[in-house]
Amino acid sequence: MSDFIASFQQNFIDDSRYMYLLQGLGTTLLITAFAAIIGIVLGFLIAIIRSTYDQTGKMKFLNAICNVYLTVIRGTPTMVQLLIMYYVIFASSNLNKVVVAFLAFGINSGAYVAEIVRSGIMSIDRGQLEAGRSLGFSYASTMWYIIMPQAFKNVLPALANEFIVLLKETSICGYIGLMDLTRGGDIIRSRTYNAFMPLLAVALIYLILVMILSSLVRQLERRLRNSER
Amino acid sequence: MSDKSLFHVEELCKSFGSGLVLDHISTDIEKGEVVVIIGPSGSGKSTFLRSLNLLEMPTGGKIYFEGSDITDKHLNIDAYRQKIGMVFQHFNLFPHMTILKNLTLAPMKLQGMSEKDATELAMQYLERVGLSDKANAYPSQLSGGQKQRIAIVRALCMNPEVLLFDEPTSALDPEMVGEVLAVIKDLAYNGMTMLIVTHEMGFAKEVASRVMFIDEGKILEENTPEELFDHPKSERLKSFLAKIL
Repeated sequence: MSDFIASFQQNFIDDSRYMYLLQGLGTTLLITAFAAIIGIVLGFLIAIIRSTYDQTGKMKFLNAICNVYLTVIRGTPTMVQLLIMYYVIFASSNLNKVVVAFLAFGINSGAYVAEIVRSGIMSIDRGQLEAGRSLGFSYASTMWYIIMPQAFKNVLPALANEFIVLLKETSICGYIGLMDLTRGGDIIRSRTYNAFMPLLAVALIYLILVMILSSLVRQLERRLRNSER
Repeated sequence: MSDKSLFHVEELCKSFGSGLVLDHISTDIEKGEVVVIIGPSGSGKSTFLRSLNLLEMPTGGKIYFEGSDITDKHLNIDAYRQKIGMVFQHFNLFPHMTILKNLTLAPMKLQGMSEKDATELAMQYLERVGLSDKANAYPSQLSGGQKQRIAIVRALCMNPEVLLFDEPTSALDPEMVGEVLAVIKDLAYNGMTMLIVTHEMGFAKEVASRVMFIDEGKILEENTPEELFDHPKSERLKSFLAKIL
């Protein structure tokens, strides 16, 4: 027991090493939050373009661009995308690394969000679109008032899952020199030559974050479900 | 075209792939008429009805609504659809909204009606169909017959010139058909212009001012219900009536 306390002291208290974890956690949350926002905006836009094309045949050109985007993003590892974003695309710019990470993870997440949302839109009975249009709503208003609220509710669990994946996937951003939660723990490991404590602490923090996120989604789902009874 | 003309349909065609579903249909619908459309399944009667508010895009011919060619590609169809109410076989109520919201959404968003006025209007109609106690319920809490009556009210709240019914009772349990037909009859007696695709022949006889028999994408016969049911002219109609009556 006293070994454990000594090890804890050495890994987290001495030289204020816990600050590596705290600062790392901040970076992780920041990147996840901004990437999620970019992912949602991009994903919904693409899902709407793609399902508009499927249902009406309009937006052929945009749909083709979206298809290329989806194929490339889903067909290459996130890690490679991040490295390309940092070392190739923004190599000569002074863009903050954190911003590069927002973009890389956001653009990556957008592709997955797009497919989730599209499946939600396609799962809504065609009669809903026809009912909206027959009342005189435009295609866009029908989407906004009638289709999207239902589609969103249907895909919420899948969407939440995507953001849990995103949170964990940001753990690779140490590769472009960012100190996120994972890298923070790893720095402690390299200072104290003790792997057990810092890495387990990192794992535990991710786990708690995911559990909090999951329970928030469950509450939201329950609230949305109640509105139908 | 008289000023009473609501729909003037000229050589309307619709094909899916190589199959011709509507084969040069021409007819006129006047204000105040109750036209019942009958025919075997797959005859094109639903397609014809759905073409009238362009849920099916015609592949040929013209449809004039109050004198305007609604098949003109430059025309904003949304404005016309507000005047053409539609009731579907499967109700298509919006499941994520209360009944009241289902009814007031379109009048508020499309006609700029205030929430107070839209609610008042909706409650009036709900009263008329005997469902005012359901205003705050969700569609999933209603029976099929109740849903269809709400769907009719939803169309009525837009104060349309004409109502299109696409087999309004086909998805209902038999004991609920009556309550829906009663609402449609009530509308008919109050002078609402309606086109109704149905298999309810007794109902057709009772409310129709004209019955249209469609087969293989053509209007084979149209006449008053007395003439059409009691003295059918074409062999096709005779055998159709023999099968279902």
